[in-house]
Amino acid sequence: MRRIETDIIVIGGGATGAGIARDVSMRGLRCVLIEKNDLASGTTGRNHGLLHSGARYAVKDLESARECIRENRILKKIARHCVEDTGGLFVTLPEDDPMYHRNLIEGCRFAGINAREITVRRALQIEPNLNPAILSALHVPDGTIDPFRLTSANALDASERGAIIMTHTRVNAIIRNGTRVEGVSCIDRKNEQLDIYGSVVINASGVWGQEICSMAGIELAMFPSKGSMLIIDYRINGVVVNRCRPPADGDIIVPGDTVSLIGTTSMEVPYEKIHDNNVTDEEIEVLLSDGEKLIPNVSRTRALRAYSGVRPLIAVSGENTGRNISRGIALIDHNTRDGLEGLITIAGGKLMTYRLMAEKATDLACRKAGVSRKCTTHKVPLPGSEKGISRRRRIKEFSGIPDSVVGSTFYRHGQRLQSIMTREKRNYRLICECEMVTEGEIEYAIKNLNVKDLVDLRRRTRIGMGPCQGELCAYRGSGLLQEYGGASPEESVELLQDFLEERWKGVRPVLWGDGLRESEFTYWIYQGLFGISRPVKIKKKRTD
Amino acid sequence: MKYDALIIGGGLAGLTCGIRCAAAGLRTAILSGGMNSLHFSSGSVDLAGYDDEGELVKKPFEQVKKICRARKDHPYAKAGLPAVKKAMEFFIETTSNAGLTMNHNGDMNHFHITGLGTLKPAYLSQESVFGPRGLEIVNSGGKIAVMNFSGFRDYYPEQTVAYLKKNRIFADRDIVLGEISLPWYMNTQKNMHEFRSTDLARIFETEKYLPRIAEEIRKGAGDATAVSLPAFLGIKNYRAIRKRLEELTGKFIYEIPTLPPSILGLRIDQALKDSFIGYGGEFIAGERAESGPVDSGLLEHINTRNSGIEPVSAKYYVLATGSFFSGGLTSNSQRIMEPVFNFKVDADSKRSKWYSWFFFDAKSHPFLSYGVRTDKNFNPVNEKGNTVKNVFCAGAVLSGYDPVREGCGGGVAISSGFACAGKIIGELKK
Repeated sequence: MRRIETDIIVIGGGATGAGIARDVSMRGLRCVLIEKNDLASGTTGRNHGLLHSGARYAVKDLESARECIRENRILKKIARHCVEDTGGLFVTLPEDDPMYHRNLIEGCRFAGINAREITVRRALQIEPNLNPAILSALHVPDGTIDPFRLTSANALDASERGAIIMTHTRVNAIIRNGTRVEGVSCIDRKNEQLDIYGSVVINASGVWGQEICSMAGIELAMFPSKGSMLIIDYRINGVVVNRCRPPADGDIIVPGDTVSLIGTTSMEVPYEKIHDNNVTDEEIEVLLSDGEKLIPNVSRTRALRAYSGVRPLIAVSGENTGRNISRGIALIDHNTRDGLEGLITIAGGKLMTYRLMAEKATDLACRKAGVSRKCTTHKVPLPGSEKGISRRRRIKEFSGIPDSVVGSTFYRHGQRLQSIMTREKRNYRLICECEMVTEGEIEYAIKNLNVKDLVDLRRRTRIGMGPCQGELCAYRGSGLLQEYGGASPEESVELLQDFLEERWKGVRPVLWGDGLRESEFTYWIYQGLFGISRPVKIKKKRTD
Repeated sequence: MKYDALIIGGGLAGLTCGIRCAAAGLRTAILSGGMNSLHFSSGSVDLAGYDDEGELVKKPFEQVKKICRARKDHPYAKAGLPAVKKAMEFFIETTSNAGLTMNHNGDMNHFHITGLGTLKPAYLSQESVFGPRGLEIVNSGGKIAVMNFSGFRDYYPEQTVAYLKKNRIFADRDIVLGEISLPWYMNTQKNMHEFRSTDLARIFETEKYLPRIAEEIRKGAGDATAVSLPAFLGIKNYRAIRKRLEELTGKFIYEIPTLPPSILGLRIDQALKDSFIGYGGEFIAGERAESGPVDSGLLEHINTRNSGIEPVSAKYYVLATGSFFSGGLTSNSQRIMEPVFNFKVDADSKRSKWYSWFFFDAKSHPFLSYGVRTDKNFNPVNEKGNTVKNVFCAGAVLSGYDPVREGCGGGVAISSGFACAGKIIGELKK
C-alpha cells in the first residue's frame, strides 16, 4: 500500500476539480486530484459546450445571468484556446410568445449583458441556414467552449505547478478520525490501494458527491437531471442559435469544432440511474424536430452521435423537497453543516462558472489551512492561452506543413504548439484525417496529458471524433499508444476494442443513413479484416 | 444500346457474374460506381468460416451442405451445393488464367494471419498467405520475423506478435520484430510517413529497387527462415516480385493485410477485371444506375447517372450493388430501402432492432443480414409484390446471410454471381 501526504485533496476531475487543483497550486499549496475515470469524462464533457452570455438565464435567474457574463469575459481572456467567440442569436419562431423577446432584452439590461436587437434580414445574413420564418432576433455575446480542452489545460497548469493528477483512481473510503476527515483511501488503475492524507478534502465530484458524502458518513441528496444532446456532422451554423422562449427541450444549436450540437432535453432521473447515458429514440425525435425548426437543414444533415449527461442539482438543507434544490453554486462546509471538519463539498453551478466555483472552494480550503493568498485564476492565462505568437505567424513558421494541420494543432493547444510540432516529417504526419490529429500531437498527449487509454487520447486530441468515428485512426492510435509506452502491445488491442465500443454507444441511437454505412465499414475492418473480438473477449454487462 | 446481360455493380459478385456471361459469348456490360469492397478485404476467400454457434468450421463444403438443407433463404441454398462447388472451381481457374494463384487446403479451411495477430479461416488464399511451402515453414519450427516498413502508419507488428504468441500454433516459436526502410527514398517530396499500402506497393513494383529491399529484409530479419511483411509486394506482377525477393533473401515471404487499401484484395480485383475485359466485356467505370421502371414485372430499361435521358437496356439485368457501404441498400431513420428500383427488402421495421447493443457482440448485427428479398431464382420483388423475372440479384445486396459472423462473404458473392450468370445463359439458350 502506498501513502501520500499533501495539503489539499480534490475528489473529481471535472472542470471544477481541475480548476480547484489549479487554484490551490497557484496559492502555493500541495494538492492531489483523484478522478475515478478520466478528466472531463462525467458531466463536464457531457454538455453542449456553450460559452453562456447569461442571456439564457436573464429572465428568470438574474444572479446566474450575472455570474455567466462575468465568467464569460474572464474565460475569453484566460482560456482563449478553449473558447470561440462566435456570438449568438436568440430568434423568435412564429409559434413562440413574442413578449418573451421584450422580457429578454429587459433582463439582459439588468444583468449587464450586451444584447442587441437586429433585423431578421441581418440575422439571416449572419446565419444563412436559419429558418427564414423567424419573427425577431437578438444578438448576444454567446460563444463556444471546449470542456475537454478547458479541463485538461487546468490540470496541466496544476501539475506544472506541482499538483499530482491521478486519473482512473477511485476513492474507496474517506479516512476519518473522530469528527475530522484526514484523507482518502483509493484504488488505482492496477487495483492497488493508495492512501492520501491531507488537511482538507474537497468533494468536487458533482453528481457523484452523494456517494462521497455517504462514505464520510453524512447525507447529501442529489437530484440528478439528465440532459441529452445530438451531434450533427459538419458545422451547419457559425454562431450559437437559441430559441427565444422560456428554457425548454431542443432550443439551442451550438457550433463546436467541426460539428454542431442540438441541445438539450431535461428529465429527472433516480440516483441509481446516473450511470445510464443512453439516449432514447423519443429523445432523438424531439431534438431533431425542434432543431429543424431553428435550422431547417438539420434533418438533411447526417446525425453523428447522441449522448447525455447528468446535471448535479443539490438539496442544500438536506431536505428532499423540490423547493430547496438550488440551481446555483452550492458550497458546503461540512463542519458547519454536519460537524465534520476537513471536508468541503462544491456542487451545483455549471461549466460556465467552474472557475468561480473553484475560487469559492479554494478560498474556504485556504482559510481552513491558514493560507491567506488571494485567488489569481481570473488573471493568469491557462497554458496555451498566454499572449504569444499569432496563428498567422505560426503557420508561417511551419511553412511547408499544410496550414490546416498547423492550424488544427494551434486551435486545440494554443501556444503549446511549440512543444508539439516540429518540422520532422514523422511528427506532422496525420493519424486522424478527419480531425487533423498528427503523430506529434498524439505523442505530446500521451507523454504530458494523463492519457491512459484511447478514450482519454480522444478527449485530449479529438482523434476519432470526426465523421468516420475512428474507422482508421483508432487502429493507428492503438499502435502509437503502445509505441510511445502508454500500453503494452497486448493492452493496446484491448483498449482499441474498448474505444470502438465507446464510439458505438454514441452512434447506436442515430444508426441510419451514412452513419449506418460507416458503421458497416468499421465493422468489416475490425471484425472482418482484423478479427478483433476473437482475441479479446468482451466483458459483458448491459448496465453501463 | 442493347446488351444481353447488364450487371449493375463491379464488385466480386458482379465481376464473377460478368466473366461467366462474357465467357459464354453474351454481350455483357458492368456498370461500376466506384471502388468495390475487395479494396478492403483480406484478399482471401471465405466460404464458410463459422457455424451457427460461432465455432470454427473445418470442412467448408460440409457446412454449405448443412446450410442448403436447413436455411432455404440463404443464398447458398438458392444456388445449390453443386453450383457453389462449380463457382469455386470457376473462380480458381479464372484468377489463375489472369496470373493469380489461389490455393486451397483440399476440402479443409486454412488460416490466415490478421494485422492483430488473430487467425481467420478461409477457403482460398494467395500463395504468399497459404500454400505447400508456407505449411512446410509452419511445421518446420524455424524462426519468424514479423517486419514492417519503417514509419508506415497503417500497420503495427508488435500487436501481431503479441497475439500470435497467444495462439498454441505459435506459442513456442521464436518470433522477432524487424524493420525495413529505404533511406534514399525519404527524399521524396511527399511525406513518406503518410504513405498508404498502394504507395509502398509501387516501390516494390519498381524492379531496380528489389536488391536493395532484399538487403534490408536480410538485415532486419537476421537468421529467421520466414518473414512476414505488410501486404505490399505489388499488385500486377506480384508473383515475380515475391519470387525474386525470396531468391535474393533466401527466406519465405508471407503477407499480412493492412488497413485499406488492401493490396491482396486489389490483386483479385485486377485479375477479375482483366479477365472480364479479356472476354470482351465492357467495364463502364464511374457509372451508376439511378432508376428503372419495374411495375410490369419486367425491368424495361435503366436510367444511369451519365447516360442522361438515353435509357440503357438489356435482356437481363443483375443487381450486384452491394450492401449499405456500397450504396446497394440505404436507410433513413424510419426504414431500410433498395434505392434504385425500390425492391422489397428483408429488414426489421423498428430501428432499435437493426443493431446489437455491443459493437463486437458475438451475434454480430441484424443489419448485416438485411438485403433484397429474392425467390429461389434470385429474382427480386417489386413494390407491388410482383416478381421481376428479368432481374437477378447477387452478392451483398442479398438478404439471408451474415458475411462476417458466418465467414461466407466471398463465397456468397462468387457463388451467387456465378449462379445468376448460369440462369441468364440458360434463359437465352431457350
